[in-house]
Amino acid sequence: MTTSFSHAPSLPIPGRRLPRISLGLLLVLPALTAITLLYALPLIRSLVTAFRDGSGAWTTEHVVRAFSLYGRDMLFSLGVVSASLALIAAMSIAIAGYLTLGATPWAVRALRWLYRWPLFIPFVVTGQLARSFLATNGMMNNVLVETGLMASSSAQSFLDWRGLVLTFAWKQIPFVTLLLAGAMAAVEQSHIEAARNAGAGRLRCLFQIVLPQAAPTLWVGLILSLVAMLSVLSVPMMLISGNPTMMTSMMAHRITYYGDYGIANALGLFSYALTAVTAWFYLRLTLRREATR
Amino acid sequence: MSTEALTLTDVTVDLGRQRILDGIRLDVAPGSFTCLLGPSGCGKTTLLRAIAGFTPLRGGEIRLGSRTLTHLPPEKRETAMVFQSYALWPHMSVAENLGYPLKLRGVARAERARKVAKTLERLELAGFEERAVTELSGGQRQRIALGRALIIDPPLLLLDEPLSNLDAAIRRSLRSELRRLQKSLGITTIMVTHDQEEALQMADQIVLMRSGKMVQVAAPQALYEQPADLGAARFLGVDNTVTRHAQDPVVASQAVTFGFRTRDARINEPVRPAALTRKGRVIECVYTGDGYHVSIDTVDAELFATSATSVAPGTFAVLQVPESALIPFGPDDRHLPPLDRHEDIA
Ligand SMILES: Nc1ncnc2c1ncn2[C@@H]1O[C@H](COP(=O)(O)OP(=O)(O)OP(=O)(O)O)[C@@H](O)[C@H]1O
Ligand SMILES: [Mg+2]
Repeated sequence: MTTSFSHAPSLPIPGRRLPRISLGLLLVLPALTAITLLYALPLIRSLVTAFRDGSGAWTTEHVVRAFSLYGRDMLFSLGVVSASLALIAAMSIAIAGYLTLGATPWAVRALRWLYRWPLFIPFVVTGQLARSFLATNGMMNNVLVETGLMASSSAQSFLDWRGLVLTFAWKQIPFVTLLLAGAMAAVEQSHIEAARNAGAGRLRCLFQIVLPQAAPTLWVGLILSLVAMLSVLSVPMMLISGNPTMMTSMMAHRITYYGDYGIANALGLFSYALTAVTAWFYLRLTLRREATR
Repeated sequence: MSTEALTLTDVTVDLGRQRILDGIRLDVAPGSFTCLLGPSGCGKTTLLRAIAGFTPLRGGEIRLGSRTLTHLPPEKRETAMVFQSYALWPHMSVAENLGYPLKLRGVARAERARKVAKTLERLELAGFEERAVTELSGGQRQRIALGRALIIDPPLLLLDEPLSNLDAAIRRSLRSELRRLQKSLGITTIMVTHDQEEALQMADQIVLMRSGKMVQVAAPQALYEQPADLGAARFLGVDNTVTRHAQDPVVASQAVTFGFRTRDARINEPVRPAALTRKGRVIECVYTGDGYHVSIDTVDAELFATSATSVAPGTFAVLQVPESALIPFGPDDRHLPPLDRHEDIA
C-alpha cells in the first residue's frame, strides 16, 4: 500500500539540475498516476459524496441519517469485529506460541501443516461452510445430538453474531498466525533460553519474552484482519438475515435497492474512521518503539 | 549463598544421528573455577547446554550438590548461564533485565529495585537502570548479562565464551575482574573458552576436550607442562615435534618424540650440555616485538625458534632446547609420565 521513492542524488550544478528532476519525475509518473487515479480519486470522491445532496450542495444530512438509521448496525459491526479480533488474537498467539515453544516435535509438525488450510479458502466458500456447519440442523448440532451431548430440542442456530465471529476468526486466524509465527521464529533462540534459564516456564516465555518482541507484527495482522472483516460482504449476507447486521450489508442494501450513494458513503466513512484510528494507534506504537531503540 | 559441587557421570549426548559428547565424567569442586577448553566444534557449548538443560542427554547423570538435574527442565535447574551473545532482552530496560529473574521468584518490587541497584553498583554501572540494553557497549552488555545471572545467588554459574566478543584490552581487564568476582562470591563456575591463555590464567581446573571426549582434566600448570598426548600438546602451543635421535638427552627411556615450545628453543647460542640440538637452514626470520621468530628447515621437519638477533634466511643455524623444556611422548603419541623420567635418571 505504501510506495517509497528514492531520489537520485542530484548534483549542485545548476545546468544539470533540471533534466535530472524531470527524469526522476518521468520515472515516478506511471506509479503516481495509477495511485492517483485508482486509489486517491475514488476515495476522495466517495468522501465528497457522503457530504453532498442530490443537487450538489454541501450537507451533513447523509451522515446524520446514516447514524440514525444504522446506528445499531454500526455498534453491531463494532462488537462483532472486536470479538473476532479478540478471538483471532487469542488463537493465533496460542498456535504461534506452540509452534515456537512446543516441546513435542510431532505435534508441532502436525500443527504447522494443519493450521494454514483456511488461508486458501475464499470468504464466499467460508460463508457457505459456516452456514451448513452452524445452522439449526447443521453439522455441528447434528454431531452434538448424535453423540448424545445435547438434546435435539435444545439445538439452536448459530447464524447470528456468534456465527459471524466464528467465521471471521476461522478465516483470519491462519493469516495472523502465519505472520505471528514468522515474527516469533525471528526472536533469537538465546533470548528464550536465557529466560528459561532464569526460571521462566514456557508460558511466561511466551507472554513476557516472545510476544512483546513479536507484538508489532501481531498488530499488523489484526489491523489487516480488521480491514478485511469490514470489507467482506459475502459472509454477513450469507449468515445473517434481518437486523442488525454488518455495515457492508447495509451499504450494499442502500445502493442496490435505493441507489442511495450518499448514505452508503456516509456508512463507508465510519469504516474509514475505524481503520484510521487503529492505523494511528499502530503507527504511534511503532514510532515509540523506534524512538526507544 | 549456596555454592555446590557438580558431578557429571558418563554424560552422553546425540544430536541427530551424531554422537556429540561421549562419556564425559567430571567432578567440579564447590566454589572452583573450571574451564572447558578445546578446538572449535569439540562439544564445549553442547556440554554447557546439557548442564543447563537445553540439550537432552542420551545417557549419564548430572548432579548438583544433592540434587539430580538430569531430568529437570531448564527453569527448574537454578543454574545461571551467560550466553555468548549475552541474550539481553531488547524490550526490557537494564533494570528490567536484571530484575526479571527476581520477578520470577516473586520478589517484591521495592526489594527488586534495591537488589538491581546493588548489582549495578558492583558491576560499576550504577545509575544505568533506565537505559535500553541496545544502548550499551559490548563490555557493558557483558556485565549486565553477568549481573542478571548472578542476581539470584545461583549455586552454579555457566559461562559460554563470555569474553570472546570483546576486544583484547577489555578482555584482559574483564578476565581478572571476573575471576575476582567469582572468588569473592565463591560460586562454582564453569566457563567455555577456546583461548588457552584465558583458560590457563583463570581456571583452577581445565578440562581439555577433543571431538566430544575429555582428553585431560588437570590444573593449569600440569596441563601446560604435561599435556596428555601430542594432539593436546599442539593445542596448548607446543608447535615443534622432533623424533628422538640417539645423541639427544635421555628424558624418558621410551620417548619416541619430543615436543617443545617455540619460545624455549634458541638459535645460535653457545650449546649447553644436556640440550637437544638440531641443525638446519633458516627459511624465515620475523620480528615479533621481543625478539625474532625463526623458521628452520631441518632434515626431519620445519622447526620454530626464537632469537635475540636477526638471522639471515638461507644461512645455517643451530637450534637448541634445554632438557627441562622437552616434553616426551611414547610410541602411541601419549605423554610419558614423570615417574618414568625419575626411573631413567636414577
Ligand atoms: N543442533 C545440532 N544438531 C546437530 N549437530 C549439532 C547441533 N549443534 C551442534 N552440533 C554439532 O555438535 C558439535 C559440537 O558443537 P558445539 O557447539 O558444542 O562446539 P563448541 O566446542 O562449542 O565449538 P565452538 O568453539 O566453535 O563454539 C559440532 O560438531 C556441531 O556441528
Ligand atoms: Mg561454542
